[in-house]
Amino acid sequence: MNLRRVASLTRRIVDQFRRDPRTLALLFVAPIFIMALLGWVLRGQANPQPRVAVVNEAGTSAEPVVDAIEAALADEGGSIVGVGSREADARQAIDERRIDVALVVPEGFGAGGGELLVITPGLNPPAEGANVLAVQQAIAAAVRSSVPPAMAGLVPEVRHEALYGPADADQLDTLAPVFVGYFAYFFVFILTGISFLRERVGGTLERLMATPITRGEIVLGYSIGFGIFATIQVALVLAFTVLRVDVPAVGPVPAWWFGLGVPVAGSPLLAYLVALVLGLGAVSLGIFLSTFARSELQILQFIPIVIIPQGLLGGIFWPIETLPSVLEPVARALPITYAVEGLREVFIAGAGLDSPTVQLDLAVLAGIAALFVVLAAATIRREVA
Amino acid sequence: MTAAESSRRGTQPAVVARGLTRQYGRVRAVDGIDLDLPPGRIYGLLGPNGSGKTTLIRLLTGLARPTSGSASVAGVQMPSRANLARIGYMTQADGVYPELSVWENLRFFARLYGPIERSALTESLRLVELDAAVDRPADRLSGGMRRRLSLACALVHDPEVVFLDEPTVGVDPALRVSFWEHFRALADAGRTLLVASHVMDEAERCDVLLFIRAGRVVASGSADDLRRRAGTPNLEEAFLRFAGEAGVGSAEELAP
Repeated sequence: MNLRRVASLTRRIVDQFRRDPRTLALLFVAPIFIMALLGWVLRGQANPQPRVAVVNEAGTSAEPVVDAIEAALADEGGSIVGVGSREADARQAIDERRIDVALVVPEGFGAGGGELLVITPGLNPPAEGANVLAVQQAIAAAVRSSVPPAMAGLVPEVRHEALYGPADADQLDTLAPVFVGYFAYFFVFILTGISFLRERVGGTLERLMATPITRGEIVLGYSIGFGIFATIQVALVLAFTVLRVDVPAVGPVPAWWFGLGVPVAGSPLLAYLVALVLGLGAVSLGIFLSTFARSELQILQFIPIVIIPQGLLGGIFWPIETLPSVLEPVARALPITYAVEGLREVFIAGAGLDSPTVQLDLAVLAGIAALFVVLAAATIRREVA
Repeated sequence: MTAAESSRRGTQPAVVARGLTRQYGRVRAVDGIDLDLPPGRIYGLLGPNGSGKTTLIRLLTGLARPTSGSASVAGVQMPSRANLARIGYMTQADGVYPELSVWENLRFFARLYGPIERSALTESLRLVELDAAVDRPADRLSGGMRRRLSLACALVHDPEVVFLDEPTVGVDPALRVSFWEHFRALADAGRTLLVASHVMDEAERCDVLLFIRAGRVVASGSADDLRRRAGTPNLEEAFLRFAGEAGVGSAEELAP
């Protein structure tokens, strides 16, 4: 291993980036832009204000309950729409998009309990789930208010506490930490893949191989060169995610703020380390996969093969324990899975370097990176043509 | 006489090949080539496109592994990574980084070969007359200037043996003359140059010509020698005569 040659290669990569401001912008500005958009979408979500129809088929006996439910729904911001007194009326109203959710009190309800029916369009189940929840809460409130005070204690109330962080943590608080690592992985992979592909097709790799540089020195030089940019990127994205800077109103400009202010229970430096080890693995992955591409377009074709499945299976959106049993072992083989786990442990549970989970995650990430270093070096043969 | 003794006397061949063969599938790109090239001369590797010139150079530099046979350069068996520091290779493609400036390209390659003085870089650029364009990015150079940069990158470490694959393609006549003056100066300084070309008028400038056809050396000698032996005043006709005698078919794709 000759450090002068490694340093020369590293320097060259830095010089190439300095002369390509658009790529630098992609690397540093794009992830912050996406993160800001994500924060805006997730934090700025309006509370659901469903249009609700309560259809009473049970007659006057159920009227007190219906009134109580309607009152509770109205309290929570829902609007009550009258549609008629039959279940068919409710279905028609949903079909005509006049209401978002219908509650049907069936005939015979009240005589020794019974079943209530909630109808939604089924066009967007997750969003409608919030409406169903609002109806359920209204029902619970109605029940509590309609029983005699002496029996109120019999109706249980559920209080939710979370061991880590606030129970009302929003989606951003769990997604943002993970995206810090995912961005590093994605951008470093794409940029190394394309850089190395150009090296192969542009004839410079042939020329490199005609010098005394070794394959190991090439992979190391690339790793350090791209590592420098990954370091800066992760630092910037992490700072944007964690910090929140309030800017007071000046003259006609209203007060504003930037940064997402996502709480970090653990050490931001440790989160940084996890994201960086993940990103370094992407350098050798990019070099390795560039062997199987003939053009930049073919590097982009690896996105649906390499990047998107990791996003879907790595536990970013759905816990890997809930994956179909066939896919779970696949997820356990993906580096993103370990980065997601490690970043959430640090950000949300406040785990430190002494946590066995974080240690395992870092070890697996480093192991996967090492494996791809070997594979990448194996693809850089003197015989390139 | 051992190799070490001949090295001391300075008569050790710069390039040696023994039965050098490289097969790609069913095609023998290089087919049993033997070479013994004494140092300090310019050798012209002449043949049409696809005759095996580039493959031969890649075998001699160790960039490709022979199917059979062996090669050594400057007394060292190839492939040898360490020996590459004594070899210069100007590839057929320019092989420079378009985003980097002339200076950055040259410095990058220089440092891969060894610790090189700034003055050596300046001198290399002066020799190819790029000293006025040191800060210009390579993608804003003319084709001829990029070719000159490519040459400077191959010579920056003052190699003992230089392989030049079609060095003057796309180079204007005036620059071509200066390239050949440069090559001659290197040979006079004891360097060995192997220049692949399919341009016959460049052949006149080589000390020794190697006619290569279908992966075989069909004739070798000085230009005058080859013309005399073929009984023709024209090198192209001489090439066709030797290729025909060797039974490797016509050379219809031979460039004029």
